[in-house]
Amino acid sequence: MTTGVLSPTGRIRSWTRAVFPYVLAILVAFAVAGAFIGSMGFNVLRAYETILFTSFRTPYGFIQTLTKFVPLTLQALAFTVPLTAGKFNIGGEGQLIAGAIGASVVGILLAGLPGVLLLPLVLLGSVIAGALWAAIPGWLLYRFRISEVLTTVLMNFISFSLINYVATEMWPDPAAGHPTTVPIGKGGMLPNIIARPPLHMGFLLTILAVAFVYIYTTRSVGGYELVATGANPRAAHVYGIDVRKLSVLALVLGGALGGLSGGIEVAGVHHRLIEGLQSNYLALGILTGLIAKGNNLAVPFVAFFIAILEVGASALQRTMMIPGEMVIIVEALIVLFVLLSDVVKVGEGA
Amino acid sequence: MGTHLVSMQGIRKTFGDVVALDNVDFHLEKGEIHGLLGGNGAGKTTLMNVLYGLYQPDAGKIYIRGQEVRIRSPRDALAHGIGMVHQHFLQVPPFTVVENIVLGTLPKLRATTHLEEEIGKIRALAERFGLEVDPLARVEDLPVGVRQRVEILKVLYRGVDILILDEPTTNLTPQEVDALFQSLRFMVDQGLSVVFITHKIREVMAVCDRVTVLRDGRNVFTVSLKETDEETLVRGMVGEQLDVATSFLFSGRREEARPRSFGPPRVEVEDFAVMGDDGTLAVDGCTFHVRAGEIFGLAGVAGNGQRELAEGLMGLRAVARGRAHVNGIPVQEGATREILNSGVAYIPEDRLEDGFLPRASVAHNLILGYHTRPPYRKGWFLDWRLVFQTAWDLIREYNIRTRGPHDIAANLSGGNIQRLMLARAFAHPMKVLIAHNPTRGLDIPSMEFVYRKLLEQRAQGVAILLISEDLDELLLLSDRLGAMYEGRILGILEHPPFDKYVIGRMMAGIPAETR
Amino acid sequence: MHVSQQIITLARLVILTLVPYVLAAQGTMLGGRAGVFSVAQEGIMLVSAVVGFLGAYYTGSLFYGALLAMLAGGLVGLAFAYFTTTLKMDQFVIGLALFFATAGLSTLIYKIAIGVTLKPPLIPTLQDIPIPLLERIPFLGDILFRQNVFVYFTIFLSVGLWYLLYRTGLGLEIRSVGENPLAADSLGVNVTLVRYATTIVGGMLMGLAGAYLPMAYTGTFTEDIVRGRGWLSIALTYFGGWAPHTIFLAALFFAGVEVFAFRAQVTGIGIPYQFLLMLPYIATILVMIPGFRWAREPAFLGKNYDREKRGIS
Repeated sequence: MTTGVLSPTGRIRSWTRAVFPYVLAILVAFAVAGAFIGSMGFNVLRAYETILFTSFRTPYGFIQTLTKFVPLTLQALAFTVPLTAGKFNIGGEGQLIAGAIGASVVGILLAGLPGVLLLPLVLLGSVIAGALWAAIPGWLLYRFRISEVLTTVLMNFISFSLINYVATEMWPDPAAGHPTTVPIGKGGMLPNIIARPPLHMGFLLTILAVAFVYIYTTRSVGGYELVATGANPRAAHVYGIDVRKLSVLALVLGGALGGLSGGIEVAGVHHRLIEGLQSNYLALGILTGLIAKGNNLAVPFVAFFIAILEVGASALQRTMMIPGEMVIIVEALIVLFVLLSDVVKVGEGA
Repeated sequence: MGTHLVSMQGIRKTFGDVVALDNVDFHLEKGEIHGLLGGNGAGKTTLMNVLYGLYQPDAGKIYIRGQEVRIRSPRDALAHGIGMVHQHFLQVPPFTVVENIVLGTLPKLRATTHLEEEIGKIRALAERFGLEVDPLARVEDLPVGVRQRVEILKVLYRGVDILILDEPTTNLTPQEVDALFQSLRFMVDQGLSVVFITHKIREVMAVCDRVTVLRDGRNVFTVSLKETDEETLVRGMVGEQLDVATSFLFSGRREEARPRSFGPPRVEVEDFAVMGDDGTLAVDGCTFHVRAGEIFGLAGVAGNGQRELAEGLMGLRAVARGRAHVNGIPVQEGATREILNSGVAYIPEDRLEDGFLPRASVAHNLILGYHTRPPYRKGWFLDWRLVFQTAWDLIREYNIRTRGPHDIAANLSGGNIQRLMLARAFAHPMKVLIAHNPTRGLDIPSMEFVYRKLLEQRAQGVAILLISEDLDELLLLSDRLGAMYEGRILGILEHPPFDKYVIGRMMAGIPAETR
Repeated sequence: MHVSQQIITLARLVILTLVPYVLAAQGTMLGGRAGVFSVAQEGIMLVSAVVGFLGAYYTGSLFYGALLAMLAGGLVGLAFAYFTTTLKMDQFVIGLALFFATAGLSTLIYKIAIGVTLKPPLIPTLQDIPIPLLERIPFLGDILFRQNVFVYFTIFLSVGLWYLLYRTGLGLEIRSVGENPLAADSLGVNVTLVRYATTIVGGMLMGLAGAYLPMAYTGTFTEDIVRGRGWLSIALTYFGGWAPHTIFLAALFFAGVEVFAFRAQVTGIGIPYQFLLMLPYIATILVMIPGFRWAREPAFLGKNYDREKRGIS
């Protein structure tokens, strides 16, 4: 083990203690990826530059990063909030799709309503749909004690067929060459907070969601019970906490957040339901959550960083013809090295 | 004196920041029963785990029959003729007795359908040492006493001549203890040498030839039993940490001049029955009560329903029959919060599993179970300022070594976790205390501390149900004493002094003659 | 005669479909019986599908393709064993991270090797190899003994694993490591070695399961080729009670549902095809309700073993 590299000299302030492994993990991950990119004959420094600075070179790049930040943060929270209670929600993707379907159904059926009514209803539709989609694994866990890991994943696969059905059979847009619905009502679309380049209001909603999650988990009685359940469900149960109910609640909360991410994709980005709108947000969200080590407050910061990498990745593909998937390898490596830094710490007996 | 059978010299072992063994020497002679005496945390088990290859020492040398050896794993230890029986049995419950015994000795591709030869060998060993078992029984179906025989047979089967026994009397009745001591003598007569790890001086006096006393990971002394007495051993075990003369633990109980008076019953249990994990009745019709200001002790060999009884009374298990009131609350599954909030404190047997939140902060841990009531709760939120204030106070009062209430509880060492659990239970006002093995795993000063706390609470009129597998503890503290066997209470002795052999008979399933 | 012919065709199809499920589930079971629980099946199958496909494409031999896929799966298994058994990192988290990494890697490898093409490259699919004499058994001969070599291997593997685990000294050691590694260790069983070996072999079996998909079904590689079979194989392992012989039997159900959904799409039974596509996942969720109740998983499943870790005292 690389204990020698990391052994702290004297007392370090706690925030440096927390940030240091991240910096190291990122450096090592980039070094490994750089070696890989270099071995394929590309210019490594230019690749690094593209990945890291595309977001900051133009206003467009920056807004694009903030737009990516929204689903990443919400998907990561959909993973970390249940994780606070020790439950693994691998179903953020299905919950996103369910939320997107919920938003679209409301937005299309009630297309005529004015914005003050329709927009809240569209968003509410997505939150409820996502929560319900997660409530199914939650109920199976509560009633039959079936591991949520598998059921949440399987619900993703079910949602793929469902979105295809809605987009091709219920309200198909014949003009689109891909399973797509007709647009939702104008009133259901999220207004922009910056006009040009456009940034939709979903960004503010996301910040609100982060604040809500943070206050709930760290200050409230319910949040305390969530943390206690995650720390040791058996002990929590012995001291009077209804662990089974809380596990379901945690999954449903996660589902609601996942559903909201789908609602924002529909109301803020596409203004209609499109098959494949979930992109690879599940993978990115979970990787974000893992890099944040499940800490809800760390999630937005990590998500912003991942958004930078993702915007960089698409530029990489455009300008240098390096496959964008390269970046997911970098991200997985960061996860691994961040987790490894814990192992080293334990090895020190710190 | 020539070469020792086993000689450990200058052994040092650390776990993180904790020094478990510091320059310890240990010598075992052929044909002796050598006691290894000390309180919890003295390093007895750690030292023998080093000899058995489970722990690698940081420094020190080991000689066996005069040869220096390096023992990297239990495989090496067994090859040197060393076998160890752990306090917590190392068995594979779904395997049969013979499978558990031969594990690791069979050629890899050898078919396991024909083990007649091995079974024969086990039968012969069992007969020779008086350790009767059915080789084809599943281990998970066997009672504790028999499982211990399996554990001993496991090492004898490997032909060892050095046998290490770690607290082997933990789950035995006084009668079974006598039988075990007899077969130990028998083994020594047949040429074996035995290391006997214990924290009970009386057992050392009863069976050992020599004894090595450890304290805080260091040697205190090694003496022949002929040249020592109980008083010396006590002082060796506790050193300056405790004033033996004024200690409650060692001075024994001083009987009050007149009988103590008690308040009204706070725990009332009538024909109470609770289901166990395997779907049979683990508690099968218990009737007793605990009054304000008394300690009602409940003895029994582990696994006779004590755990289920405690959990049943805390509303953690479905009531199969009968009824119970704890602090006036009718007991039923799911009433846990109501019971706790009425002023009931609970110290569960398995503190790590049932009471500890490793991935939460020290502060989180200190209010577990108290978080839904004043003063900590304010509407939907917790008063974290108050929580942290209280946490700082408790950390100081209970001497919990931590960076502070924010610190992740997983960073605490075992002893500090124990103190954290005790702080939580004793720091909040209570009317009833249900404590299950509250001193298990504690060092001697901490045991003394717990005993004083229990007596303090009793003096304040708390009704205490003390369930323990440590009979000495119960004899010392109880105002009344019952014994549990297979889910029933076989008898209750109404006042001290208690006869330990009477209790022992009840623990073995023989009802007490009425007194 | 016509009806019986149809039954035989369906049964042959079920056996053919069973293969990847059984291979992946036996791999999961083998590591699991030693206490190592991976959730990277889906990713391992994806990456070994692409490696197997490319290997077969470039060498022109399905055999070498399959061998390379096993190597890829074994390497992921080795990585998993290293992170969990040696570094004691959380098995579930590492499994999840490896799932995403390998899934990403599979697309990357394909893009680097082939790029984006209008006409995807093709490999030949597996040939049926009738087994002399046995193929002449009425019914059974048609169903079981005129199949491709993967089918034979799968049957042989299931029987072999059962014998190994329940009838040999080595099997006793493997099972003891998953039930109580401290007990096994204290009797001289090499816990680390057993865990590494079963995890690597388990990864190889998952790799083979991945390679089977392009080789038996499509002849090409697509990103959605695995379609959750990796995750389903975890459910199958539970449903099959963590034992080789019952896993094989339970896989009949999984394969049966897939074949039914497929046939129903082809013949059309008035249900939108999207709902038929959901069927395997819904059916799996339903069978997990009893499955989780009767599955007795190894006591140390998913838990790392650290000899020197100390308890509370």
